[in-house]
Amino acid sequence: MVSRRVIQNLTSEFRDSFLAKLGVALVVVVVLVAIFAPFVAPHNPTQQNLDASQLPPLGFTQVEQKTTSEMVDGELQTVTVNETVEAKLEHPLGTDGLGRDMLSRVIYGARTSLIVGVLGTLFAAFVGVPVGLIAGYYRGRVDDALMRFADVSLAFPSLVLAIALIGLWGRASVPVPDPFVALGLVSGMPETFVLPGTVVVVVGIVNWVWFARIARGEALSLRDQEYVKAAKALGANDSRVVLRHVFPNAITPIIVLATVQVAAIILLESSLSFLGFSGTTLSWGFDISQGRDYISSGQWWIAGMPGLAIMISVIGINLIGDWLRDALDPGIEGEGGGA
Amino acid sequence: MTDPDLDDDVLVAVRDLSTRFFTEEGQVNAVESVSFEIRDNEVLGIVGESGSGKSVTALSIIDLVESPGRITQGEVWYRDAELAEEFRDTNASVVGDHLDLRTVPERVRGSLRGSSFSTIFQDPMSSLNPSVTVGEQIAEAVEVQRRASANPRRTRSRTAGYGLGQMIVDAVVPSRSYTSEESHARAVELLEQVGIPDPADRAEEYPHQFSGGMLQRAMIAQALAGEPDVLIADEPTTALDVTIQAQILDLLRDLQTEEGTSVVMITHDLGVIARMCDRVGVMYAGEIVERGRLEDVFDAPVHPYTQGLLGSIPDLEDPAPRLQPIEGNVPSLLDSEMPEGCYFADRCPKAMQDCLEPIAEYDAQSGSPEHAVQCVLARQEFDPALALHEDGDAEVVADE
Repeated sequence: MVSRRVIQNLTSEFRDSFLAKLGVALVVVVVLVAIFAPFVAPHNPTQQNLDASQLPPLGFTQVEQKTTSEMVDGELQTVTVNETVEAKLEHPLGTDGLGRDMLSRVIYGARTSLIVGVLGTLFAAFVGVPVGLIAGYYRGRVDDALMRFADVSLAFPSLVLAIALIGLWGRASVPVPDPFVALGLVSGMPETFVLPGTVVVVVGIVNWVWFARIARGEALSLRDQEYVKAAKALGANDSRVVLRHVFPNAITPIIVLATVQVAAIILLESSLSFLGFSGTTLSWGFDISQGRDYISSGQWWIAGMPGLAIMISVIGINLIGDWLRDALDPGIEGEGGGA
Repeated sequence: MTDPDLDDDVLVAVRDLSTRFFTEEGQVNAVESVSFEIRDNEVLGIVGESGSGKSVTALSIIDLVESPGRITQGEVWYRDAELAEEFRDTNASVVGDHLDLRTVPERVRGSLRGSSFSTIFQDPMSSLNPSVTVGEQIAEAVEVQRRASANPRRTRSRTAGYGLGQMIVDAVVPSRSYTSEESHARAVELLEQVGIPDPADRAEEYPHQFSGGMLQRAMIAQALAGEPDVLIADEPTTALDVTIQAQILDLLRDLQTEEGTSVVMITHDLGVIARMCDRVGVMYAGEIVERGRLEDVFDAPVHPYTQGLLGSIPDLEDPAPRLQPIEGNVPSLLDSEMPEGCYFADRCPKAMQDCLEPIAEYDAQSGSPEHAVQCVLARQEFDPALALHEDGDAEVVADE
């Protein structure tokens, strides 16, 4: 399925492209951080400490106005004192409104985003690719029925559809025990990790159409290949032709699409968390929605840090997508891979 | 049911086969009432211009005509004593050891592909799956037929290991292999048989590492994997250069003699026909206009189209100053534009009034019983007084 030529293309493109290296580096870091979150995070991300709330990130100071009022001679006097809040070393990215460590929250948020991104993409591909292959291979009425249905799903705004589905099914949150904590390797960290089950399914349902479309296009062109005809003439049945001759040759664009979809789904998950639909409170989107209230009063980092994390991981994944596309599909000149 | 009138040495007999394409522009009569026989141990050539229906005829035999095409009428008789016995008391038409494949279930026709009928396609470069090694592809063809023949028809185990679930696993886990050691060994053997040097090493290579001629050999090896009774070669040499063409034709001829396979050679190249075939059918506008033994058709052609084809190839011994082209173009085959009578009449230098009437197949009166021709000239001499075109000027179209 993956021939030597493909690997050669991948390595040579990787060597030539700075952006590909950058993308891989970013994604590797994010993935490692997500997996080993209990070791990397300095604090328990759910531990509140109101004495140390709203601390700024290292290198910043925050001036806070404190207003006290007292009655002097029957008149109300207000005294405003400017108080400087210094960053603390143990909270390098500051703390949120409840004094939870932002760095730890961003680290744990990577887990949610990556798991939803990867599982959601797999689910979308699992639904979309067979539909597309069947539509493209059989053409005719099957194709019309499946693809018109896909078009209708596409016409629906994806966020609205996702919210509607979550509203319909409820927010199923599956607590998964953290293996490192369960083995006793780390202590003081959350014992379970919440997998937002509905969100995984919903983002898959919202995004399957893209996989169906690309698989259909590939199947349409591959079904007329001589080797497909030859296989049929030598006695291959339909399922063999599709799985053996069409699918493996359609895999390249599907992989490229999948990388881009992981990024898109991370964004969608963040939007859902931001709107409060995800079922987990350890998520970048959720933190952004929490931090939104503080932006006007100057505590920009509460929303800014998870936003930065989303940006870095989405950019990293998209750069990898560009690299794969340029390497596997030399026919397309990429804007991203020209370095 | 018409009596097919089949001799014992007839392996496949096609009777009145018509294939139509129902396109948006209208109905296209790609194959029009075609009849011919494939006999044991014999090479049948089907020759004609591009678009004359040669390939569709071949696909119709193995029932692989793609939508919007459909076989609208006709019979395909195939000799298989076992199958004939199985279907004798059913709705299927059975005469002696022959049965009409058009009347048996699709499943049976499918099971004959590869094991009874095998096909070699025109373009070897694209006829093998680029993501599977050549050896693996041939071994797979061997394995399918091995499992099918090891188990009685209709049982599930004929396709054991090639169920949907198994294939999904194979598609996801590429290292898993469906084929057995024996099939691999047989694949290497087949590659050796078709003259590929270092067959064991080359079997591990991917199609893009093969040259065109090598790929065509590999295709032939794959086609032979099921030990077919009939090998249909659809323009097997068109995409190859001349020296390779000769090698491939020699290989096919040798294999045909060794294995006793019958071959249907579809080509537009009269040289290939002359070199390979025992019997030939000339196709024009979806019809077989003349058929018979090679020497009858080539030495004493009756149909003006056959004469025109033979007149348009250069002769080394007697280089004429000018070749004689056939005037005009192939008709469109759209049903609404087809004339009543002979389709060739408007291009025919010897067209007469009678040619505008519907036409049947006649004995060519050449002394050979198998020489048949679809032309009025078989029963009457050309009479210039009745000619449609003056001086054989084919530009004047008599009837649209």
